[in-house]
Amino acid sequence: MSFKGFAGIFVNEARLNPNIGTFSYVLHRLTGIGLAVYLIMHTWVLSSARSGPEAFTQRLGTVQTPLFHALELLLAVGVFFHMLNGIRIIIADFFSATRRHKAIFWIVMILFVAVMTWTVISVLPKLFGH
Amino acid sequence: MSEYSSSRSTMTWLLQRISAIMLVVFLFTHMNVNHLSLGERIIDFSLVNARLSGSLVWKVFYILFVPCCVFHAMNGLWGIIADYRPSDMVRRVAIALLWLVGLALTYFGADTLINLFKA
Repeated sequence: MSFKGFAGIFVNEARLNPNIGTFSYVLHRLTGIGLAVYLIMHTWVLSSARSGPEAFTQRLGTVQTPLFHALELLLAVGVFFHMLNGIRIIIADFFSATRRHKAIFWIVMILFVAVMTWTVISVLPKLFGH
Repeated sequence: MSEYSSSRSTMTWLLQRISAIMLVVFLFTHMNVNHLSLGERIIDFSLVNARLSGSLVWKVFYILFVPCCVFHAMNGLWGIIADYRPSDMVRRVAIALLWLVGLALTYFGADTLINLFKA
């Protein structure tokens, strides 16, 4: 049995090859789509308030509430996973390290946990107001 | 088939990696300066303006960062679409849309930098 469509490709791949490479590929793709959508919103939200300093400050204020800071944590998960897994892909591509990609995955995941720890420490106070 | 294995694909594959390496530096800096704490300051126009008007490095940083980010996102989306082996019609429409969105985002970003921050 094989599934079709966008999600089907992920499901088939996960069933046939339930390994680190598959799961990191799925996560890389999903975070990539999420970040592309975020980039469009982010650019639009800020640049549509480019008429003057007051408008810009006011717009920045609306996206610096505890709710948006909480969503920013989710953004950081996407950014830093995609960034670190991307580094792993580049290392595997350019340094003939394909056979060591699983070890590299765990190394970058240790870095991911470290960066996310720093992120949570930084953002946590902002969740309870400035 | 030839279109999928053309030198253009190789070029975009390489550009995706070059932009990725640049984004590691750009995005890590941008996240730390603007999205993470740094003393619990509320970011407003004057804070960003002080940074951008004060140094050439920040101006060059953002003028490169915006198109780099937009290219990586649009080319990444194209890579996903191409994986589904779209028909010629879908390919043309998708490429046109990605170019349109990419150029619009670059324009809005550049216009904000130039006209609001006088970068």
